[in-house]
Order: sequence, then C-alpha cells, then structure tokens
Amino acid sequence: MAARMNRSRGTALIGSVVVALALSACGESSAEAEGEGSGSTGACAPEDVTLVGQVRNQTNPYEAAWLEGGDAFAESVGLEQQKLTYDGDSQQQQEQIRQVLASGDASCTVINALPNGDSDTTPIVNAADGADAWLVTQWNKPADLDPTAYDRWVAHLTYDGVESGYQIAKALFEEMGGSGGVIALQGILDTAAAQDRFLGLQKALEEYPDITLLDDQTADFDRATALEVTRTLLTQHGEEVGGIWAANDDMALGAVQALEAAGVDGVAVAGIDAVPEALEAIADGSMTATVSSDGPWQGAVGLAMGYCAATGELDVASIDAEDRAFFAEQFLITEDNVGEFSDPQLDMSEFDCDSLFSRATGPIAAS
Amino acid sequence: MAGDTAPHAPTRTLEPAPLAGAPAPGAGGGNGDAPAATSGRARATRSADVVQTRASLIALAVLVVVFAAISPQFRTAGNLQQIIDAAAVLAVLATGITFVLMLGAIDLSLPGVIGACAMTVSLLVANSRNTQDLGLLGIALTILLGAAFGLLSGVLSTRLRIPTFMTTLGMSAIGLGIATILFAGVRPVVLDESLGAWASHRIAGFTVMSLIAVAAVALGWAIQRWTRIGRYAAAIGGAEDIVLLSGVPVARYKTLAFGVAGAFYGLGAVMLTARLGSGVVEAGAGTDFAAITAAVIGGTLLSGGRGGVLQSMIGVLALTVLANGLILTGVSPYVQQAVQGVIVVLAVAVATWPVRRRLGVVK
Repeated sequence: MAARMNRSRGTALIGSVVVALALSACGESSAEAEGEGSGSTGACAPEDVTLVGQVRNQTNPYEAAWLEGGDAFAESVGLEQQKLTYDGDSQQQQEQIRQVLASGDASCTVINALPNGDSDTTPIVNAADGADAWLVTQWNKPADLDPTAYDRWVAHLTYDGVESGYQIAKALFEEMGGSGGVIALQGILDTAAAQDRFLGLQKALEEYPDITLLDDQTADFDRATALEVTRTLLTQHGEEVGGIWAANDDMALGAVQALEAAGVDGVAVAGIDAVPEALEAIADGSMTATVSSDGPWQGAVGLAMGYCAATGELDVASIDAEDRAFFAEQFLITEDNVGEFSDPQLDMSEFDCDSLFSRATGPIAAS
Repeated sequence: MAGDTAPHAPTRTLEPAPLAGAPAPGAGGGNGDAPAATSGRARATRSADVVQTRASLIALAVLVVVFAAISPQFRTAGNLQQIIDAAAVLAVLATGITFVLMLGAIDLSLPGVIGACAMTVSLLVANSRNTQDLGLLGIALTILLGAAFGLLSGVLSTRLRIPTFMTTLGMSAIGLGIATILFAGVRPVVLDESLGAWASHRIAGFTVMSLIAVAAVALGWAIQRWTRIGRYAAAIGGAEDIVLLSGVPVARYKTLAFGVAGAFYGLGAVMLTARLGSGVVEAGAGTDFAAITAAVIGGTLLSGGRGGVLQSMIGVLALTVLANGLILTGVSPYVQQAVQGVIVVLAVAVATWPVRRRLGVVK
C-alpha cells in the first residue's frame, strides 16, 4: 500500500511539471478572457479551481480507485479533490450537488460525477448549468440529453456494455476450446449495464455455434447472491458446465468461490470491472478474463476536462460534437496482460488539455 | 392477576416442559372455576402455537413437494446438501434476530453490524492487507464486537427510550461507516486456511460452516429455552408492563437479548466472510429483511411474545428452498423476484392463518 502511494506520488510530480509547462504556455490567452462569468471558456486562475469528485460510495474497490485517480490528478495540479459519496441515494446526490454549488461563486467549480441513474443526470446538469459550474458526467445519462446543448457540461463518457460482454464472452469461449456449455450470471435486470452486457454475450454466442447457453440467472451484481445461484446451477447442470459468464467481477468471484466449495475444477470464469481481486484470480488461473474501464483514469479525466475548461485551455464549444458524449476505450485483461493492470499507474500525460479525448472510441449510439 | 399472566408466560415453545410448567400459575391463582378456566386458556394458547407451527411446516412442505415434483434435480442428495449449506448463514442470523423479535422490537442493524464484523474478521485473521494472524482469537473478537453492537443498540433503546427501529437503523449506518473506514479502498482477502475451510471442507457431505450453523442454532435454542435472557425475552414481548410490575429488570434483559442477537450476527459475518473469501463491506446487504421474513414465516410475530429459534428455522428453510427451487424449476429470472414475493406473502398468510383472529389490530 505504502509503496503504491509513493509511486503514484512520483507520477503525480511528473504530471504536475507537465501541467505547469502547459499552463505557462497559454497563460496570456486566458488573461484576456478574464471577467467572463459564463460561456464555453473559463478564465479561472488554476489555484481558484475547486475540484469535486462524486461517486456512490467508497465501499467497493472500483469507486475507491476512481476517487484515488481524482486525488492523483488534483495533486498534479496542486489542488485537492473534494470527495463526495452519496450511498446510492439519488436525493442525497442532488443535495450534495446543491451544496457544492451554493457555496459562493461556482464558476470555477469542476464536478466529475457518477449520476446514480439516468434520470438523476438531468437535474445535476441543470443545477450545474444554472450555477455556471463545469461538469463531466459518466456512465448514466438519458439518451435524449445532449451535452452539446450546454456551454459548461463538458462531456459525458461511458462504456459500451455490449462490447464488454462480447469481449469477455469471446475470451471465455476461446479458453473452453470453442465448445461446451456456459451459464450466465446477469446483473440487476432493469439496468442498461446488465442488458447491454448480456446482449454482448448473445452476440458472441452467435459466433460460436458449439457453445450452448445452459442457463441465465440474475445475481444482482452481488457476490453472495452469485455464489448461491452458481451452486444451485452447478447442481442442476453438473458436468455440462464448462464456463461461467458473469456481468461483473463480484459475481464472477462469487462463482469462483462456489466452484471451489463444490470442488469443481476446470470451469472457466469471466467477469467485468477489473477489481483487484479479479486480477489476482486471473493471475492465479481461477478466472479467465475481465474488462477494465480503468477507474482511476475515469476519476482523473473528468476533473482534468473540467479543469482545462475552467482555466481556459479547453474551449468547450470547439470540442468535436462526437466527443461530447462518447464511449471510452476499455481493456480486455487475460492471463497474458494481467501483470500490466495489477499495479495501475496513471499516465499523467493523458490529462494534458490536448489529449483528454484520446480514449474516445466513438459517439454514444442513440438507442 | 397471576391467572391473567398465564397466557403470556415466557414459555411459548413446543417442548414438553412448558406444558408441565404453564398450569402452575393458574393453579396457584385461587378458588372455584378460576384454575380450570386459566389452564384452559393456557392450553388454547399452546395449541394455537402448535397449530401455527404446523401451518408453517405445511407451507414448507408444500414448497418442497411442488419443487420435487417439477424438478428432478431438486430431489437429489446433492441439492439437499446445497440447501443446507445455503441456509447456514441465514439460519445463524435468524437465530439472532428471533431474540429481538420475541421482545416485540425490531432489528435493522444487520447490514452494518455484519459489514463491520466482516471487515474486522478479515483483517484479524491472516489476510492480504496486514500481518495479523489471530486465527480463532480473531473470530472470537469479531463475535464479541457483534455482541457489543447489539448491547449498544439495546442500551440506546432502553435507556434513552429511542424506538428500536431508529436505534438499530442508526447502528447499521455506524457499522457501515466503520466497515468503510476499515475497507480503505482495498478488499482484504482471507488467507487463513482454517477459516477458508469453513466453506470448502466437508464432513459427512456437509460443509464445516453448515455444522457450525447447526451448533449455533442449538446454542440459540438452549439460550432461549433455558436461560433468563431467552425466557424473559418472550415474556417481555408478551406483556412488558406486567413483567416489569413483577420486578424483572426489563431494560437489562432487553439489552442482553440484543447482545445475544449481535453475537449471532458477528458469527454470521464470520461465516459470510469465509464463504466470500474476503472482507466485503456490503456482505450484510438485505440480510435484515431476509432474517425478519424467515422469522415471520416461522411464526414469530412482529408484535413479540411468540415464536422461537426452531420456528424461525422453518422460515429459513422455506426461503432457501424457494430461492433454490425457483432456479431449478427454470422460472425465468425476469419473473423470479415477483414470484418469490408472491410466495413469501402466501407463506406468511398460511403460517399466520390459524392465529389470525388472535392477532388483534395489525399495523
């Protein structure tokens, strides 16, 4: 843990030098824009910027890593990230946003938020817009809400769930030698993430005719539930089970635990999210694959986008419309490359104002 | 007076001892018809208990028969083991919560207490985060922590006179807060092999955890049956004012009942951690309502005074069989939750049907 902190501090230092250089390079241009309260470019002095990172809770490794990434970026520009967690409670999220915006002049405030659900994004966007704060949202947004209609909603980014489900399914099927039976552990069924990921599995199934889907059950993205469901499915399908596809790593790890408890060997398991335990499981062979959205990057890039906009280095109006709401790159992790991901390092050059959108893989398709 | 209290006597179990013991207060009650009338009422109460337990058992039996008829996998020995293993944690939690429900109180502290205890045990035994390796001592300390949480809930409720609904809800938040601090962004993986063996090692076909659960339930039953904590809990739930008038330190025994419940939650958290293989903050999410539902299906009344550890086990088995059977019979996951809800409501209706007239006002 301590070693990890030191290393991230080291990269942060390098990052801050890079940012300092970048800042001095465009210092004059931002000075001209001074006094502007709204519009698509900001004129805040870097030290006046307030960075706010908001996620559901810190009780899972993914969101904890997200906030750590935000901290690393904040440190690299000599600021501190204000960390907010709302416990998966939409009301509380809105209340926190209101409080952040109510404390004086919000035109130099940057919010990198994970809205609790699609419908929570609209009031957050409206509140931030009304207070002239800079906003980046991730994961959830109603399809018809478009950042290009706003001056200060810099961008919305999310991940293509169909692609994640598809990638791990392919890795799983390859591990199984292209034939056999799989069981699928779905997430909470009425979430877009669960539905898209399952679509990805079905897409992969079409490409592998010798793989049969024995059963699909929901385990609510939950580890303990997945364990019980898997054990029951093992009772039902026994030896036929050659692989387990799970819509997230927590369920995959629950499935691994169930296989262990049942004394079953040789069943491949794949999940999504790249939580640290899953990476360990991939390294020791008990899991086959997972997909990483790179939580620390998400935590940092949202703040970086807002920071660049607030300090005038990034003109929001000039961002390519396709980049205002985009799918970000995700990474398939298998035994071959797990080493690179088990000790994630933020590459601070990715947060330079001109490379913020380097991970965009395309605009979010209207659904 | 003594005659009136007889139906509320702290002996609401099916065991023969209360049958022998209950008429005593009535017999001492006075002259004429009074003893006969009182013992008659006591007998009516007992038979209502028996009838209700039968109803709960019937609900469970119906579930088993229906699933066994539809699914060949359901009626295998392997699946029986699976059901017992799956029921282990809920059985321990339901044993604990039964003590609180018998008081007529409610306990919503499980998610927090379990979260805090799960993080504690995973950090005290050999783990991936620190160099602790306390083994059994770590487990014992965790159970003590659970008991401490329970005692605190009890003290707050009895001394500050805050409704248990609020104190335990607050306790849950406090527990989750502690758990989140202990979690610190990195999940501790349990490396202690003996704790890991709880979930994977089998004796006579059953996991060590299942056997521990059976022992814990037996202990819970013994506490309920033979100690003042258990006997007063039922009495307090039946008629707290009368128990108070007869000189029982009600606040103390209520607090102790919460403490006993907390210790069982602590053990449940240890079992969950063994099963999940690492300390998970949200390990206890939803367990409060699962445990309460199990107790109610078993015939424990939320108004207190009635029910018991063994009855709650009927509910635990019913819930576990239901979750298992719905998967094995191939009910679509999209409708499973709704089906589960309907069957739980039906099971409660069946379980409380024989005594519905006696429930009086239901809120």
